[in-house]
Amino acid sequence: MSGRAFGTQTPAAPPREKEHVLPTEAPITPSPFAEKVRGPVGRSCDKIDGVERVTGTKLYGADLIAREADLHAKVVRSEHAHAEVVSIDTKEALRVDGVLAVLTAEDVKGTNRHGLIRRDHPVLAKDRVRYRGDAVAIVVAKTEQAAAAGRDAVKVEYRVLPTVESIEQAMAPGAPHLQPGGNVMGGRRIRKGDADSALADSHVVVSETFRTQTVDHAFLDVEAGVARWDGELLTIRVSGQWVHEEARLVALALGLPVERVRIIQPAAGGAFGGREDISIQIYVGLAALRFAGKTVALRYDRAESMRARHKRHPMRIEYAMGADREGRLTAAKVAIYSDEGAYASTGIAVCRKMSSHATGPYRVPHVRVDVFGVHTNNNPTGAMRGFGATQIAIAYEGMMDRLAAKLGVDRVEFRRANLIRPGDAVTTGQVVPSPTAVECLEAVLRQYGSKSMPSEPLPTHLRRGWGVSVICFGMGYGDGFPDASRARVRIGADGCVEVYSGIVDVGQGAENVIAQVAAEEMGVGLEHTRVITADTHMTPESGSCSATRSTFFAGNAVRLAAGELKEKLLDAAGELLCVHPNELEFRGEEIRGRFDEGLCCSLGELVAAARKRGYELEAEALFKPRTICEDFETGQSPRAFITYMFGAHVSQVLVDVETGEVRVERHVACHDVGRAINPEAVRGQITGGVVQGIGMALMEEVVYRGGRILNPGFTDYILPTVRDVPPVECVVLESNDPLGPYGAKGVGEPPLIGAVPAVLSAIYDATGKAPATLPCNPERVWGMLTGS
Amino acid sequence: MFYQPTDMAEALRLRAELGPEVVTVCGGTDVVVAMNHGVARPEAFLDLSRVAGRDSVERVNGIYLLGGGVTFAQMAKLPVRALAEAARSVGGPQIRNVGTIAGNLGTASPAGDGSVALLALDAEVELSHVERGSRWVRLEEFFLDYKRTALQPDELITRVRFPSDFESVWYKIGKRGAVNISIVCCAIGRSPAGAYRIALGSVGPVPMRAMEAEAVLNGDSTDAAHRAVAYLADEVIERAAEAAELEAAPIDDQRSSARYREAMCRVLVRRLLRELRDG
Amino acid sequence: MGDSGGAWHLSCTVNGEPVEAEVDPRITLLTFLREHLLLTGTKGACLEGECGSCTVIVDGRPINSCLMLAGQAQGCSIQTIEGIGDDKKLHALQKHFIATGAAQCGYCTPGLIMAAKAMLDANPSPTEQEFTTAIEANICRCTGYESIRQAIRDAYREIHG
Ligand SMILES: Cc1cc2nc3c(=O)[nH]c(=O)nc-3n(C[C@H](O)[C@H](O)[C@H](O)COP(=O)(O)OP(=O)(O)OC[C@H]3O[C@@H](n4cnc5c(N)ncnc54)[C@H](O)[C@@H]3O)c2cc1C
Ligand code: FES
Ligand code: FES
Repeated sequence: MSGRAFGTQTPAAPPREKEHVLPTEAPITPSPFAEKVRGPVGRSCDKIDGVERVTGTKLYGADLIAREADLHAKVVRSEHAHAEVVSIDTKEALRVDGVLAVLTAEDVKGTNRHGLIRRDHPVLAKDRVRYRGDAVAIVVAKTEQAAAAGRDAVKVEYRVLPTVESIEQAMAPGAPHLQPGGNVMGGRRIRKGDADSALADSHVVVSETFRTQTVDHAFLDVEAGVARWDGELLTIRVSGQWVHEEARLVALALGLPVERVRIIQPAAGGAFGGREDISIQIYVGLAALRFAGKTVALRYDRAESMRARHKRHPMRIEYAMGADREGRLTAAKVAIYSDEGAYASTGIAVCRKMSSHATGPYRVPHVRVDVFGVHTNNNPTGAMRGFGATQIAIAYEGMMDRLAAKLGVDRVEFRRANLIRPGDAVTTGQVVPSPTAVECLEAVLRQYGSKSMPSEPLPTHLRRGWGVSVICFGMGYGDGFPDASRARVRIGADGCVEVYSGIVDVGQGAENVIAQVAAEEMGVGLEHTRVITADTHMTPESGSCSATRSTFFAGNAVRLAAGELKEKLLDAAGELLCVHPNELEFRGEEIRGRFDEGLCCSLGELVAAARKRGYELEAEALFKPRTICEDFETGQSPRAFITYMFGAHVSQVLVDVETGEVRVERHVACHDVGRAINPEAVRGQITGGVVQGIGMALMEEVVYRGGRILNPGFTDYILPTVRDVPPVECVVLESNDPLGPYGAKGVGEPPLIGAVPAVLSAIYDATGKAPATLPCNPERVWGMLTGS
Repeated sequence: MFYQPTDMAEALRLRAELGPEVVTVCGGTDVVVAMNHGVARPEAFLDLSRVAGRDSVERVNGIYLLGGGVTFAQMAKLPVRALAEAARSVGGPQIRNVGTIAGNLGTASPAGDGSVALLALDAEVELSHVERGSRWVRLEEFFLDYKRTALQPDELITRVRFPSDFESVWYKIGKRGAVNISIVCCAIGRSPAGAYRIALGSVGPVPMRAMEAEAVLNGDSTDAAHRAVAYLADEVIERAAEAAELEAAPIDDQRSSARYREAMCRVLVRRLLRELRDG
Repeated sequence: MGDSGGAWHLSCTVNGEPVEAEVDPRITLLTFLREHLLLTGTKGACLEGECGSCTVIVDGRPINSCLMLAGQAQGCSIQTIEGIGDDKKLHALQKHFIATGAAQCGYCTPGLIMAAKAMLDANPSPTEQEFTTAIEANICRCTGYESIRQAIRDAYREIHG
């Protein structure tokens, strides 16, 4: 049948002849830095721990458990989405063979609370549970099986309270209050010009209500790790995204001075924001405190991981946008209701990311935005790749397509005419330095146009279409939130350059970036550098691995520290060679006279001599650029973010209009990343982000009923496989960020943000119906097309 | 406890002697998932993965005879289109290498792709007992209710048989391109005499036949000539498709709504009948 | 064959070495490899056959070790990521996974390499479809897959000249 367009329907006799084995070319636009590439910066150096990762010797949390665990802990979780805890009976559990202890709120000596912005999340709930993932007790036992049996034997008596399942229920009059302040946790707003009048005066206005779904990070490496208390120091080895903050949260919750909590990051199998909120660190730490000298282990299985962890905010976005007769945007009026779940997590910051990005990379003179974070009895929602900028991009790009259609103009032309250009401001009023939105759009269209659309006639039930998106993303925490990174660079005993940074590598390659920066700056080969990261007692604080900030922040701190170390080395060399240090310079692994070629010593000789004379071969630096807090009335800030990244995508889909199945045939993504310190790692971030975006657009969705997750596993939480995605065509647009290390910006989040609206736009183009509810799984697309 | 017989006679003896707490396992792709989820904690297993001859494939007198331990990887290579395509769509290579047809029938999931394909192929399953011997049961009598079958606790599924001369087609709707659980799946077989069998998956408690739809196509006549291929005018196909939609009895679950599933029965029956007609 | 009380004697070959162990045959092969033999290169992520992280090669075929019972490995020859190459001599797949950036967080990598190796071992001239089919049940949340396919193609070219 000609209609077999979709993955599972492989032809009965697969063709045996060799198809083309060549990869799709992943082009890079000519790099403005091409001639400058000398050292490791700008090169696709192999992953520095690649060998360990491909041979299975890298140790992740669960691997530590297999090797070191003495005791095992399990968490007792609420059976209800909302209830009072009447009593906890541990007698039965303590009788289980092998069970050593059952810990409840009473055993927590500190504040018993955590939370990245508000400390509102009990470690162990004492009197009330607010979602099904809430923890009420911890069982410690000699074996994992015993701990699990003990967990199942803990009897908790609850008085069930009504469940608040949705934003609508939470805001209805008379809804039970989930937090003392009520269910509206707070929010953010934009008041820029007069949106109401401007909309009234507009030539055309389009309104739409978008609904985005709950998304799970679904990193493969589920939460697992070990802790040990030696009477002095509590050492926790669990992967997170910000070791120093985790130490503070553990210390606070458990009542220890922060110096006595050491967090060491094992290898992390992905994160995507999902390790930003604390996960098992406090629980396993609490259990370890009870059993000094023993290594206590805790791991979740997939279902517990999905039940316990925060999620991407599902949102209802009511968007109205207008344009004038000439096709210029006039105004945007946006109301956003965001399901915060049971606890605050980073929700308020996500609200701000929504408001500050409400009109994306477009010039909109009048903007009114209200974002409301609303508590429900679903999982807390917090950071996930894109951090609110993902959801709002679905809305503003959806509006661009709808408005273009209503105006009867070409959707690409319409975007071109309204994208910000040098001197224009984004939603926050910030005039973005060197906006590259237009360049990204042109580059992505060029790449898409380089191959022609398949011309074979389609069977009647299939439709092909393509869509486009342009997005922007403010890098770093922004809005005046303290955002800093420290690094230390020293010459080790063996002469290697050692880089110490608190930044964690969750798999994206942060360690490579800092190694490459340090090697470049010190003029040594990558093989002569060693990175030590993410250990609170060894590495200086570098902030979180989030907000697409690692390259920019950690990279800059390392660069500054290396620069200082070089100065120290030149001082020492001057003394050794009896010349003024200004007359010397680094050349590769040598120091030479600027004017006198005869003056020369190798880095090795210099280090040996300097060490002998007691020079300190170490330097630390702080990178702390400032942003400006928004005006809370208007949401305006002249410098909300340090820098902006831009991206544009084109997606081509085939839609089966009878079944609603959608297949992405091509996807092209162009991103301005500043300087690509490691181009291959950049492409890896783009392709990976795009595939997560396709997952969000088409299939991923956490389904709740009464606060219970109905699909807490990979059987029904559907992730894209290799058969669901085309080879992503990446166009890396390099530019020079004046503040970035070697001009680099970053790349982590934008690719996902751009991918989702491009796929939706393609579905619109193919079918004539514009999706407003995600994900576009077969049933939903069918429903949209048939009006069912 | 772990019993690992190496021949079928021994396996049947053990099955008859041991109580129902000893769980039969072959590929383990259903049993071990349930165990890992803590849904079932079997105390003991009767492992059939070492039974000699469990995975034999024979074709005798126009009949295919498959051992119960025939894997999806094996079925994917058979020149029986619906079964091969269904098998190819199951899991990925890792699942297809171990998952078996007996396991698929034993689980009796309404979403069992192998079961749906076999139903359209007019298959029978052999249930064997060490003393009572074997009985052949037609699949429509084998599936009783949600995950309940005619298999007695002291029996094993030993073989499956079906005519080798059916033409067949198959389609599954899921949410992605591989490792794809069906939201709806449909298989249609046509005997050399021109009789149609339509099987639907995930639209009722068990893999089901769309009898009303078949009746539209087959009429009540036994006259083979009456059921000429030409019979399949678009209008007839549409009536059969509509009948399938009406007789499907799906439920709403987290994968899909009943409404969508019903509508898809119509789409798939229509599409597959046209495919059979147009070749 | 036959009965056993509690622990069982398991004989099998792991990475070419004979293994004799007293184990509960009802644990999964994944648990046996990781917790009894400390071969922690094989990862578990879903324990329901949906992600392929736990893929090992048993008697030449790729399987999910999270779904095989240890007892079912009796007499089998098992190959894990630890058995195909090490830092002194990498397997071609390992080398190219590094070279193309196919391992980001690396958690999916051992399973992917074993799935790919089983295919390359069995198929001297895979089609583009077959390259894809080999890894269709392996989830990678980081890379977007193309670098992985590229690594497998490159390894194939290296192996077959
Ligand atoms: C990731 C994944 C994807 C899957 N995808 C699909 C899919 O797309 N389509 C699909 O249909 N299925 C799918 N399945 C389900 C499963 O693979 C099939 O049902 C398979 O056929 C089961 O075979 P098995 O040998 O592994 O069964 P087992 O797990 O060994 O047994 C299954 C059941 O059958 C019984 N049983 C097994 N053999 C016998 C026998 N000889 N006599 C009596 N009873 C017996 C067992 O006691 C048990 O109740 C998937 C499973 C997984 C884990
Ligand atoms: S852990 Fe075995 S397939 Fe996911
Ligand atoms: S590299 Fe992280 S899951 Fe594949």
